[in-house]
Amino acid sequence: MSDAESSRASTAGELTIATPEGVLFRLPLAGPASRLYAMLLDIVIVLGAVNGIGLLVYWIFAKAPGFGVMATTLAEFAIGFAYGALLEGFWNGQTIGKRLFHLRVIDQAGLPLRIEQAWVRNLMRVFDALPFAYLVAGISVLSSPVTQRFGDRVAGTLVVRQTPLVLPREEFWTRQKYNSFMEYPTIAMRLRRAATPELAGLIQDALRRRNELAPYARREIYRELAKYLQSEISPFPDELVERLSDEQYLINASGILFGDQRPSRGKG
Amino acid sequence: MILDLERFRVQAGPRWRDLESLLAVLESRPGRRVNPPEAEQLQELYAQAAADLNRVTHGALAPELRQYLERLVARAYAELYYAPPMRSEVWQPRRWLRIFTAFPETFRRNARYFALAVLITLLGCAFGGLAVRYDPASVDVLLPADYLRNPGQRVHEEEQGQGRHLDSAQTEAAFSAQLIRHNIQVALLAAALGVTFGIGTALLLFENGVLLGAVAVHYTHQGFGLFLTAWLLPHGAFEIPSILIAGQAGFYLARLLLRRQEDRNSRQSMREWLVLVAGLAMMLVWAGLMEAFFSQHHAPVLPYGFKVAVAAAELVLLMIYLLMTGRREIGRESHSFVPAENR
Repeated sequence: MSDAESSRASTAGELTIATPEGVLFRLPLAGPASRLYAMLLDIVIVLGAVNGIGLLVYWIFAKAPGFGVMATTLAEFAIGFAYGALLEGFWNGQTIGKRLFHLRVIDQAGLPLRIEQAWVRNLMRVFDALPFAYLVAGISVLSSPVTQRFGDRVAGTLVVRQTPLVLPREEFWTRQKYNSFMEYPTIAMRLRRAATPELAGLIQDALRRRNELAPYARREIYRELAKYLQSEISPFPDELVERLSDEQYLINASGILFGDQRPSRGKG
Repeated sequence: MILDLERFRVQAGPRWRDLESLLAVLESRPGRRVNPPEAEQLQELYAQAAADLNRVTHGALAPELRQYLERLVARAYAELYYAPPMRSEVWQPRRWLRIFTAFPETFRRNARYFALAVLITLLGCAFGGLAVRYDPASVDVLLPADYLRNPGQRVHEEEQGQGRHLDSAQTEAAFSAQLIRHNIQVALLAAALGVTFGIGTALLLFENGVLLGAVAVHYTHQGFGLFLTAWLLPHGAFEIPSILIAGQAGFYLARLLLRRQEDRNSRQSMREWLVLVAGLAMMLVWAGLMEAFFSQHHAPVLPYGFKVAVAAAELVLLMIYLLMTGRREIGRESHSFVPAENR
């Protein structure tokens, strides 16, 4: 457990952290493929470093090749473990491979990785690599709801996707502000009068739970709701509806039902 | 209620940008230290961003904005609750040297897991020894390596120097590195197999014990007990205890995983496991050097009595180190009157 008494739950590809203040936020988990690519890149880097050191050592120990072999063998072994442990421990939970693939190792409570966690998860590779080609790790990642290999389970760590922090662009705010249904105040009024509180709540719930629904289920639910509203409640003009996705249709309808209800000087 | 997002942005945007700027400063700072005014500002901005996130989650249909606020809150939360190690802790050589006292202390604190490792290894030894003693045919199965199956031939070759593949310090050095690497890998695996709730650790220790027992009885039965002792013990005095300590680390890990998540003090527990692994790795470096540079030399070059005496001295020193080091400090700590939470 971390020092902060947080709790966590996972859905497909995401981990939800509940902070001690009761705030919920989601972290995107890294997929097995991106982790594999990052690991392969790290292996190439380690092999390159080991070979470079080997050449240097053989040059230094040219007159005592046995000691050169000794130094190279031990260096190779140490670098294999220390590369991941030291970089992850001191470089924001990232190796070079992870940084290039935008991955990051964190504590499972959503906090930065501690140095002892970095060492444990990297030393546990001897087990994760069994019986060959990280098969045990692969099975563990695929069977874990938060894609943890055994090293992560023991160290209490997770690999997440590191995405940049970007405030939504100007179009987002404009899009949110503009509701084309307002152009048709008569039909909008019909929608407000005809929609029952249950139907309005259903539309709002479907939109709020957008990210909890599987893509197929979301598409079907939105299609059914939009179709029902359009055919049974408030038929907006076809030339307008054809340009809107089902989801945008419901967002606009929700705006009419719950949001800014000032009519515009428009058609309808 | 659906939020008026435009008004929301006008009101909250400046504080989001303030929090972004503060996080950028803190995250780029080595050691991630926060001074008191920054901590206060961070706490305030975090609380506001968290409240904004709650409003967006429950009152707006704006996935992009929600995602932005989630990331902002996640980063602020990480900075607020993370206790970075003291920079002085990380870079002080004296702190790293503390491993030499921390290792025996940890070993003694977890002695029951060591006892379990010894018991399983002894069971393996008994099984291997009895099998070879009462069923000579089992030698072929239990001792797959040819040099282990024919003690007479092996002893003759070693004493004549025929079997010696180490003809110089150069090759001995290369051989020692291979031994160190192999032994640490096996020991680390025994420690890591604790993740199988200790079953893998127990099987590995038992197998090791079977091999040891079978070799010991096979050689002794044919009258080569002294040769075997002088051959194995100079490096075995460190190698065998280190494998047992690897078993200890494995059982410690298994016990940890069997505890309820909230009962684990994982930070302390991980340190204990790491200290055991680091300690056994140091022991195996010594064992590898002894095996390559000392154990492979036999009578008449090195008399067996001398080799056994060296091995006995190693064992005594190891026992003193593991059982005595750090005891006085612990005694002094326990007599202090500092409240536990202030120590």
